[in-house]
Amino acid sequence: MPVVLARIDDRLIHGQVTVGWSEQLRPDRILLANNAIAADSWQKRVYASTVPPDIEVSILPVSKAAASLADKELAEERVLLLTGSAQEMAELVRIGVPVSEVNVGGLHFGPGKRKMLPFVYVDGQDLKAFMRLREMGLLLSAQQVPGGREYLLDDDQIQQMGEQF
Amino acid sequence: MIRALVITHGDLGRELVRVAEMILGPVPGLTSMSNSGKAAIDITAQIEAWLTDNPTDDQADPAGGHKKLILLDDYGGSCATSAQLACRQDPDSAIISGVNLAMLLGFVTWRDSMDFEQLVAKVVQKGREAIIQVGGR
Repeated sequence: MPVVLARIDDRLIHGQVTVGWSEQLRPDRILLANNAIAADSWQKRVYASTVPPDIEVSILPVSKAAASLADKELAEERVLLLTGSAQEMAELVRIGVPVSEVNVGGLHFGPGKRKMLPFVYVDGQDLKAFMRLREMGLLLSAQQVPGGREYLLDDDQIQQMGEQF
Repeated sequence: MIRALVITHGDLGRELVRVAEMILGPVPGLTSMSNSGKAAIDITAQIEAWLTDNPTDDQADPAGGHKKLILLDDYGGSCATSAQLACRQDPDSAIISGVNLAMLLGFVTWRDSMDFEQLVAKVVQKGREAIIQVGGR
């Protein structure tokens, strides 16, 4: 399955994804890799119900999401791949999900987090995962919606931010 | 007293409540919340806090019960998902999306004279009726 967008967004499936990026990229499927939601059929239904009817949706544990992307029967599908954290995205790439770019769409403020961009708040763990993604050769940029400002997250910026922790 | 919480993107909810109060005067139990800058988990936690925050006047008004109405600007966003997650275990709440001014005015007008289910249906009906092509072709 070609991944048309690999996105890190702690709001998971929401308007910026189902309207903003989906209108632009026209994915056949939104694939959310999230262990907690995949394990709870009620929560799965809540998230799945917010996806427009012309887009398929899969909510899978991280380990199964990678296998599903390798499924030959779905080889033609255009997939928008979502995780709620940089750590989960780094894990997917480590397992072998074929992506070359990662979009950081939103990591909001929380305990112990510091501001990197207006919509990106991080702690040491997030930055380690960013670095892991960079070490695996991925281009990392932050952008909320198509047409919105895009910020390239390079090694220097990630390291500089890391000095605050 | 039946309470209501307007949850929206940006300042939409705050302004809707402000304008409703401009028309009707202060409305106890009507508040707003924005998702701006918040992670989904924090939006959910704030809604949960609002659901369990029983004002003291409820003791004086057991008939009104502890019913709670959540009004959303858009179905399918983080506000809607968080509201559903927060209300999962709460039998005294209802959620409506597509909030507009007519719905808030309707809520205030009828909340003391209807039971909760009727009120929810009425608010939905008033919201729909407020959408009218007024001019043009």
